[in-house]
Amino acid sequence: MNASPTLRGLTLACCGLILTATSGCSHWIEMMTLPAQPDNRGAQMIAGDEQVPLILDRIHTTRNGSPQNSSAETEQRILSSLADIGLFSHLTSINTSPPAHGEKTVRARLLFDEAVDPHAGGAAWKGIIIGASMYLLTPFLPFEYDYAAHLSLELERWDGQIKRYESQSAGTVRYHLFGATTIMVDELKGHVTESCLTELARQIANDTVFFSANSAPLSESGIRSVSVKPRTMRPPASASAAISISAPAPAEP
Amino acid sequence: MTRSSLAALITFAAAFSSLSIACEAGETVPHLTVGTQEIGLSAGYLLSNRLTDQHSTKQSGPAIMPSWAMVLTDPIGWRWLRGHLMLGAEIVYIQFQEPELTHGVGFTPKIKWMFEGTGRLKPYVEFAGGPFYTDLAGRIPEESARFNFILTAGGGLSWFFTSQLSFNVGYRFHHISNAGTRYPNLGLNASLPFGGFSFYF
Repeated sequence: MNASPTLRGLTLACCGLILTATSGCSHWIEMMTLPAQPDNRGAQMIAGDEQVPLILDRIHTTRNGSPQNSSAETEQRILSSLADIGLFSHLTSINTSPPAHGEKTVRARLLFDEAVDPHAGGAAWKGIIIGASMYLLTPFLPFEYDYAAHLSLELERWDGQIKRYESQSAGTVRYHLFGATTIMVDELKGHVTESCLTELARQIANDTVFFSANSAPLSESGIRSVSVKPRTMRPPASASAAISISAPAPAEP
Repeated sequence: MTRSSLAALITFAAAFSSLSIACEAGETVPHLTVGTQEIGLSAGYLLSNRLTDQHSTKQSGPAIMPSWAMVLTDPIGWRWLRGHLMLGAEIVYIQFQEPELTHGVGFTPKIKWMFEGTGRLKPYVEFAGGPFYTDLAGRIPEESARFNFILTAGGGLSWFFTSQLSFNVGYRFHHISNAGTRYPNLGLNASLPFGGFSFYF
């Protein structure tokens, strides 16, 4: 017996609806895999009385080359990540507890460079096409959101010696229209940042001996000197973005 | 003004004032990002625009438009054009009270550009189009088929009480025709001033 055209149409419509509802509601995160760093040193040991505190001096955050305010959450997350290594006796921010005079401390300065590419142009075109197709093309046109992070950490030992560590990671969240949520981008940023922090922690753990309290004496003067200089502005990544800089006119001779 | 229209107006004003009182203490600057969704309900009154001498029908009546939309992009664009692109859909129901009591219902995907504005106040423009079924067609000289298409373009202002709740007012131009599938097909044109609320999450 042949199925009636109405029944066939209804079945096809139901199948299409189920396909749209299931495959059009997904999102997934793809992390760019970095080559594994050889770690030929096993777990390092440090005695409790050789641990020194780490003080987070400052976090400089940039997004797509432009400076941003650093959030307290980011600061807390970085401190937590460094605390997990177990290398330092305690970790604080310079804003919350300045170092005691004559105490051996490690000062940390972090550059957090983010690169965000939301593929806005592609999203706009795909959105128009999906809308024009009455959402039938939703399962076939996934959207993308790229995020990359580059962390540079500078650790200055109490005697002025500096060690630099770098890590970078990137990822993409791919999603169908109905699978988009506000937290998926946060999830992506969380994964990428975690990957960077893990790599930084691995590098710092390899230098355990360098940061143990008996690795170097406290400088005799006990006076820590810092260089004072005007900030240099890095040119924006995009050549088309112009920044006007006004400078005072040179003094007449 | 009819008794039902007056009741609707009073209800609307009461809801507006109670919402504004309830939301005074909350955070008011919305944070729209990719994936932010909007659920809205708007209502307005359709007023006929007879654009040519051949148009004679003065169709009018209330319209209700529940809608959904999603933010597709982080803020893009320059200066005052900077804003978010949103993709959504809405159901439009129109009760034609003139020239005869008839009804129309349609489903329209829509594209919306919401400007950054001044934080709490965000202007927007939108375009929507989709199928529209009405039993007004066949009773008027302009339209013969009950199955039509509706095209809408307009703009409005969203005033955010909180970061998640906004009051919207706007204007739309409506065009209803059957894309030449049956004749006559002069089309119906109308203006639709409207107001409503949106919830963002």
